[in-house]
Amino acid sequence: MAGVTNRRAIRWLRSQLPELVASGVISSESARAIERHYEQHQPRSNFAFVILAVLGSALVGAGIILLIAHNWDELSRATRTAIAFLPLLIAQALVVFTLMRRNESRPWREAAAIFDVAAVATAISLISQTYQLQGTFADFMRTWLLLSIPIVYLLRTTLGAILYVIGSVLWLFARWGIFSSEGNPTLFWLLLMLVIPYVVLRFRRDRDSRETATLVIIVALAALFGVGATADFAEANVGAIAYAGLATAIYLCGINVFPQPAGRLHPLAVLGGIAIGIVAIVLSFEWNWHMTRHVASLPRSSAANVAVAVELLFPIAAVCLAGFDVLRRRAEFSLSAALLPIVAAVAWAIANLCELPGDRWQSTRCSFAAATVMNCYALLLAIDILARGIRTNSIARANFGLLLIATLAICRFFDSDLSFMIRGIGFIVVGLGFLVANVLLFKRRTA
Amino acid sequence: MMNILRILIFGVVALAQLAVPAAMVWQREQTLKNGRVWKFRTAPVDPVDVIRGRYIALRFTAEEFAAPAKFEAGDKSVYAVLKQGTDGFAEVDHLTTEAVGTDDAVPVESVWWYGDKQHMRFPFNKFWVAEANAAAAERAYLENNRRDNQNVYVTIRVRRGDAALDQLYIDNQPLFEYLRAHSPR
Repeated sequence: MAGVTNRRAIRWLRSQLPELVASGVISSESARAIERHYEQHQPRSNFAFVILAVLGSALVGAGIILLIAHNWDELSRATRTAIAFLPLLIAQALVVFTLMRRNESRPWREAAAIFDVAAVATAISLISQTYQLQGTFADFMRTWLLLSIPIVYLLRTTLGAILYVIGSVLWLFARWGIFSSEGNPTLFWLLLMLVIPYVVLRFRRDRDSRETATLVIIVALAALFGVGATADFAEANVGAIAYAGLATAIYLCGINVFPQPAGRLHPLAVLGGIAIGIVAIVLSFEWNWHMTRHVASLPRSSAANVAVAVELLFPIAAVCLAGFDVLRRRAEFSLSAALLPIVAAVAWAIANLCELPGDRWQSTRCSFAAATVMNCYALLLAIDILARGIRTNSIARANFGLLLIATLAICRFFDSDLSFMIRGIGFIVVGLGFLVANVLLFKRRTA
Repeated sequence: MMNILRILIFGVVALAQLAVPAAMVWQREQTLKNGRVWKFRTAPVDPVDVIRGRYIALRFTAEEFAAPAKFEAGDKSVYAVLKQGTDGFAEVDHLTTEAVGTDDAVPVESVWWYGDKQHMRFPFNKFWVAEANAAAAERAYLENNRRDNQNVYVTIRVRRGDAALDQLYIDNQPLFEYLRAHSPR
């Protein structure tokens, strides 16, 4: 009991500090000293407690809805409407209370935010059901996300921000209707942009926390989905370059924005590195470089052109990031990894040199040449990762390099498009690479 | 100070959160109160297609009519102008791309032409039911919506181009009265 009163008193005292300083009763130094003193007494709110608080409030909300839903059809439209608004009003009252009285308590903020966001969804779906409203799931998600994003900022909730980003990706998937043609994905990028200032705020406050790392990784993963949908919508054959650019941009951001002690990588850089490896392997298949006349001759809408511009933003950003670092001579990243968007652009240009065939499944000399470029690049990249792994004595990195080489070899084995001679030569090259790498690793380990 | 600002901003956000469902209610209430009533006979459906989660997927006999040529809409939205058939049920008179703000035209979600018939899909094609009634509602709908026993229709209220699904009738009774009358208890 004493602890509770004490905490209340501390809260009161801390709220009085600015006033006391303003009226000259105490100096700002003493105010800071008092703040520091009580900071140590503040119980550290841990993340597990936050999760429990959120889970608890979500369960209570779900339980109430279940109880009501049991006799739902017996109630009149007016009653059902009133019930639909009730949780929202309670949640909003809770948010106001949290802002006024529990503003410094993280569990309160997170729980109030989740409750309010869930109540908005409940109100909209209960009203939709009561009034037989027909809108699509994508419409519902869009309204919900737009009504929820201010809560992320007002209540400073990272969990809320993560859920918001996941919701944006769900919206992206919901666009694919059964009978409607897939919609324009540009809104996804606007939704994602709305959360970026919060990511920056989090980054400024606490760069090295696990929370910030989780948030940036979720945003990066969401962007990977977004590029896929955008490339699909744009139909401009530049998806390969866009993916290459995004993977490299993620990797470079991880290295530059989250510098780590020597030899270690931030999870974001690891994600970028893995993405670079996967994109390089995928682009080494020849069917990626089958350019079609159909795409070139399609009448282009302005929305599709915007999508192309969004796609090209990523390789441009990646090249700028890398170029900036190279110019300032402080490049810490793997140059071969940073080259991916440029190599992809070169391969794209090669693939477009030939006369374009009518359908997607026809290969040309140019598509073959483009795939060859990507194969050589993927092999060099893998060897570079392996070499870096050996140099920094990082087992994980060396293994990733070896894994890439093995994947490349297996992919080419099953690629029946290639002639036996080419396959043979390729295998010899890959095999030699393997041998050289292993010899190096072995020498290094025994030395 | 910062916090007062936060509370003020939240006031605006809270109003928006309330306004969105409230606006949905308001528009529907207007249409349900003042709209013209149309009865649509439902069409037999593939049993697999009936219930998706907690709604009954509705198809209507009026969703197709004989037409010699395809209706070309381009990118524009399509509206169906309705007329009352001799049996009292709604039929589509013709399609148009001009926005019709009257009580006898409804928006159309998608159109296609196949087998000398113009097909379309109305936007009111889901009838929500509560979880507890979903199974019974599905059974009742299937039993009364076969080719040899077509006994289901819905009422739609139309007001200034806004179409609101009002009630689903089985054997001339609203769904829930029918379910209550036919429940095993």
